[in-house]
Amino acid sequence: MDPTSYAASVARGIWAAQVDLVGYVPSVSVAPVISALVNTSGGTAGRSRTVFPLSREEEAAGVLGALPLAGKFGAIVMQDNGFGNALTALTTFNAAYHLPLLIVANTRGGLGEYNSMIHAFSQYAPALLRDLGLQVFEIDRRSGASDWEAVVTEAGVHARMTFRPAVVLAHFWNTDGKAA
Amino acid sequence: MDALRVLADHTAELPLVVTCAASSRELAAVADRPNHLYLLDAMGLAGSVATGIALALDDTPVPKVIAIEGDGSLLMNPNVLITGGFLRPDKLVMVLLDNAVYGATGNLPTYAEAIDLGRLAEAGGWTVCRADTPAELATEFTRALALSGPVLVHVRLEAGNAADIPKLLEDPVVLGRRFQDWLRTRIDAPLEVAL
Repeated sequence: MDPTSYAASVARGIWAAQVDLVGYVPSVSVAPVISALVNTSGGTAGRSRTVFPLSREEEAAGVLGALPLAGKFGAIVMQDNGFGNALTALTTFNAAYHLPLLIVANTRGGLGEYNSMIHAFSQYAPALLRDLGLQVFEIDRRSGASDWEAVVTEAGVHARMTFRPAVVLAHFWNTDGKAA
Repeated sequence: MDALRVLADHTAELPLVVTCAASSRELAAVADRPNHLYLLDAMGLAGSVATGIALALDDTPVPKVIAIEGDGSLLMNPNVLITGGFLRPDKLVMVLLDNAVYGATGNLPTYAEAIDLGRLAEAGGWTVCRADTPAELATEFTRALALSGPVLVHVRLEAGNAADIPKLLEDPVVLGRRFQDWLRTRIDAPLEVAL
């Protein structure tokens, strides 16, 4: 993978945030990020010793969110419409127990979105997350790949410093799309 | 309460994640210890949280992580059975207290009335131990601790909860910090635990 790509930069940013384990729920936009995470942690075929799939976002919030209880730190890679599945878990567990967690999610429902239904959730996701007290940082094509890397890493630092989940919403549209 | 007394007798030195509502406050009434992580809400998440802790403790001397889950709560997140079968956390033991009703909401029936959740776990790759009495639970739980995870101890119970159990009116941050501090001492300087 091109080391200057957005996906490779996001993966580097996650590791630079000193993440111990990464769980993911796939999306075509974050598939290159997941591949980069797997490859850079010695795995193949979508899985390594430290990167693995989970079937649903609220379970990811439970599994990765529990790591700080045992002195570790976790990250989730997902897409934003999955927050609809995970909000109760994120608020009543991760936020309520003050457990740091890094979440990187690609956005749907913006310019270039082909799925007319997904707007109904995704366009409200940033405001919804903020209304629930979850810290959100957004990155888009106006920033270069190196800036994406830095924001992801700093979001991990922010999660640790505030003892809360921190969400990075990555607008992959027009950042080479599926091959970001 | 009988099942929780048995579990309390066998888990004084093990991290224990307890599902919300009646199970948490009943366990706290039996024994309120810092190794207990009470999930005051987070419906269906006890098994997932225990899975994460088990993965995090993989390279530590802490031998097992226990989840106490109810059938109604597990049915809100049965993914935990599939995830456990896929990731195979060696230290994960989940005790399923199965009375086939939603005990905290008027004893309305759960799917467990018709679905054998132990068999569902087996299909997901878990080792399943079964117990119907306190004596069987003591035996099977001890056996489960000696097995490689994930292990499910499927306990069939009569419906009904103990009366007049105090609510758990504590800040989750305090409960989580207490558990985290206790676990840290076991990670750094573990005690011998008889399995």
